[in-house]
Amino acid sequence: MLRRTAPFLRHFLLERNSSAGHSSCSREAKMSRPVQARRLEGIDKNIWVEFVKLATTYSKVNLGQGFPDFPAPDFLTEALMRVVSGGSHMLHQYTRAFGHPPLVKALAQLFEKLLGRDLDPMTNVMVTVGAYQALFCCFQALVDEGDEVIIIEPFFDCYEPMVKMAGGTPVFVPLRPNPPKDGKLMSSADWQLDPTELASKFSERTKAIVLNSPNNPLGKVFSREELGLIAELCVKHDVLCISDEVYEWLVYDGKQHIRIASLQGMWDRTVIVGSAGKTFSATGWKVGWVVGPDRLLQHLRTVHQNSVYHCATIAQEAVAQGFQRELTLYGKPESYFVQLPKELQRKRDWLIQSLNAVGMKPIIPEGTYFLVADISPFKSDVPDVPNSDEPYDYRFVKWMVKNKGLAAIPLSAFYSEAHKNNYTNFIRFCFAKEDTTLKAANDILQKWKQEKTSS
Amino acid sequence: MFLASRNFCCRGIRTCQLRTDLLSRSIKHSASATMPFRHKNTRRIEGLDSNVWVEFTKVAADPSIVNLGQGLPDISPPSYVKEELAKVAAVDRLNQYTRGFGHPSLVKALSQVYERTCGRKIDPLTDILVTVGAYGSLFSTIQGLIEEGDEVIIIEPFYDCYEPMVKMAGAKPVFIPLRCKNDGISASSADWVLDPAELANKFNSKTKAIILNTPHNPTGKVFTREELQVIADLCIKHDTLCISDEVYEWLVYKGNKHIKIATLPGMWERTITIGSAGKTYSVTGWKLGWSIGPEHLIKHLQVVHQNTLYTCPTPLQEALAQAFWIDYKRMDNPDCYFHSLSRELESKRDRMAQLLKGAGLKPVIPDGGYFMIVDVSTLNVDLSGVDEKQPYDYKFVKWMIASKKLSAIPLSPFCGPETKKQFEKYIRFCFIKKDSTLDAAEVILKNWNKQTG
Repeated sequence: MLRRTAPFLRHFLLERNSSAGHSSCSREAKMSRPVQARRLEGIDKNIWVEFVKLATTYSKVNLGQGFPDFPAPDFLTEALMRVVSGGSHMLHQYTRAFGHPPLVKALAQLFEKLLGRDLDPMTNVMVTVGAYQALFCCFQALVDEGDEVIIIEPFFDCYEPMVKMAGGTPVFVPLRPNPPKDGKLMSSADWQLDPTELASKFSERTKAIVLNSPNNPLGKVFSREELGLIAELCVKHDVLCISDEVYEWLVYDGKQHIRIASLQGMWDRTVIVGSAGKTFSATGWKVGWVVGPDRLLQHLRTVHQNSVYHCATIAQEAVAQGFQRELTLYGKPESYFVQLPKELQRKRDWLIQSLNAVGMKPIIPEGTYFLVADISPFKSDVPDVPNSDEPYDYRFVKWMVKNKGLAAIPLSAFYSEAHKNNYTNFIRFCFAKEDTTLKAANDILQKWKQEKTSS
Repeated sequence: MFLASRNFCCRGIRTCQLRTDLLSRSIKHSASATMPFRHKNTRRIEGLDSNVWVEFTKVAADPSIVNLGQGLPDISPPSYVKEELAKVAAVDRLNQYTRGFGHPSLVKALSQVYERTCGRKIDPLTDILVTVGAYGSLFSTIQGLIEEGDEVIIIEPFYDCYEPMVKMAGAKPVFIPLRCKNDGISASSADWVLDPAELANKFNSKTKAIILNTPHNPTGKVFTREELQVIADLCIKHDTLCISDEVYEWLVYKGNKHIKIATLPGMWERTITIGSAGKTYSVTGWKLGWSIGPEHLIKHLQVVHQNTLYTCPTPLQEALAQAFWIDYKRMDNPDCYFHSLSRELESKRDRMAQLLKGAGLKPVIPDGGYFMIVDVSTLNVDLSGVDEKQPYDYKFVKWMIASKKLSAIPLSPFCGPETKKQFEKYIRFCFIKKDSTLDAAEVILKNWNKQTG
């Protein structure tokens, strides 16, 4: 018995010895510390990992994650083909680190028009790997340990972990629903900041406020007055503004997207974040940008050159060509910036009708391609479970995708941990989808309603 | 009281005075005249704003200059790689988001290729992260695993981003130089070695990781199994991680073999191996790279990734996956691009070396990679009149660009402060260049001695 096990034991001990290390003291000291860096504390969870998995597994109709299921415009994909097949093979090599010259030039040209000021493409614009990386650069460049950053709830979920990773403290302030008295459907405009409450969130430690307009998930398009309120506080407290405007072209009902950087005193303290993925319905290209004063962008450049350094050349070249086209068509009916919101408004209205018809109460979004609906009338299908650690809307969404094959995202996913239970009767739908997709969603909802009325 | 003192500590004396000024201003006045501390950089990027590439790529951007500086191929990528991207451009769904940690078909292809080279099973979903270039992998690794209080050993000369990335993570870089073993006469990159005793001395209880780069940029050194074993023994002894930058893994020349330190006993569980599509397929502008390692380490890189850029571009990942399948199928075949590129570069290496010798320069023949370092001191170019603050190699390269219309990169940016003097007689040439570029370099080098500079 011993003889048989001995060789195994020897082998086992040798293996252990070789990896156990000879200096037990230093190893124990190391082992008591986790291998990962402290900056990852509390930021490892991510809603998309879970919800994308659910949608992939169960959904027949996916109105969950925010990306179009219709194609990117022809002129853009053709630009990519041209660049790959006909362009110089040097387009497969590194380009300028802070942004491919044709792209930063096109962006500067466009934003000069939009902001009414001169812009230097080399210092007032930087290209990033999607708006996501632009946000990362903002927080890393501008938020130090101990800084507070105001985040308006509900918010695109990455703001909070990014602030934390930068050692900052997120300070939340909610948009509060003020339902119209006449019983009409709520609009995203009815969700508002309380000016006194907002002012109370600014302190000496406040470094920045994150603004997202048009807002994901509600679709709110902040009015000039609302932006003026935020601007006043920023100037008063010398606070920076990180302005996530990825949905800048998606505004409906004749509304106007107003750029806070164009308000008095704001250009010098604002970094505007934009996205080719949302502008041109090509989320998978991961091309984004920041526009702002050199004094702030220089720090973002430092982060960028020490993290990714360059962005993919070919995608930038194709996006540049897309922008060049749009600059020539600016304001004209053929402009994609005119056509896309027109198309999406139609889809929005269709989904509103669909949801209304079955008893879900949509909040009419003024912008973006998201819509939030009140699911309280459907509560009987997924009864509340007291003491459940998951907010009701999370459970509802999971039940809905598994049982009805329709994917959406719970609104609580866009709230901080402390406030996850404040609004648990809402779910978010994405309507940047083919008509056939929206029709299929409608079919599911109609069938569901019939089941309810017949039971 | 507490608040005021916190402010004082964090922001400096100017804070209180400035704040009073601001509050008393009318909102209508532009605040641009008073942009004090709030518009300063964060502490983590203090001193990290300068960058050798920004300086030298600007200088060399003049098309009349023969550019052998930045590591950028001017040869065409293989045609099938470009064709795969063209095919992908026509597929709608590939224009939208893919899986955050890596496009499924790409991580699958990578796992197959690396299972072959690592000799072990690699789970495409847990053992691989796709990043924006190897640069992004280095960043994710360092941000994920290194923090304040840690020390990270960096071998000099080093690819210049290691130092600022380690500093940005709040850690301390600890340098150790490669030393020339033949009394300063170095004909080959193999002559540059680490002193084992010196290396052992750099390890202590704070040492979180060592960064290894093999094949090495800028010398082209290909670490031997014995050299890797020395490093591995120390990593195991001190329970240290190994960040192994192997972007030039396929570019090894006759008589040399690329060995993955992760394949040495006890090393897989503590090593992140980094690779690059840009270097593998001569498409530096695609900016796709990857980290491969054990799940218990990769998961932390994934957390960084999901909080920094979330996903990499879909079309490029799909095209890369297709290219990898093509070459995976012929990995044992000399036609495989991994091997054919290496052969192509070996002859360019030899040509480059000959040209440099002809001009009286002393190149260090690299065993791998596509860079060659050259001792320029033999030319005795007197630059003492030029800006004294700059190291000799900086001045030499600028002089060479201006007077010879040939660019290279100085070696001092690849060194820590103590070692800069040791390497300031060397400059780095890149030879992944098409024949016409090397022809143009030849003309300059042949005529070098004819001019009085």
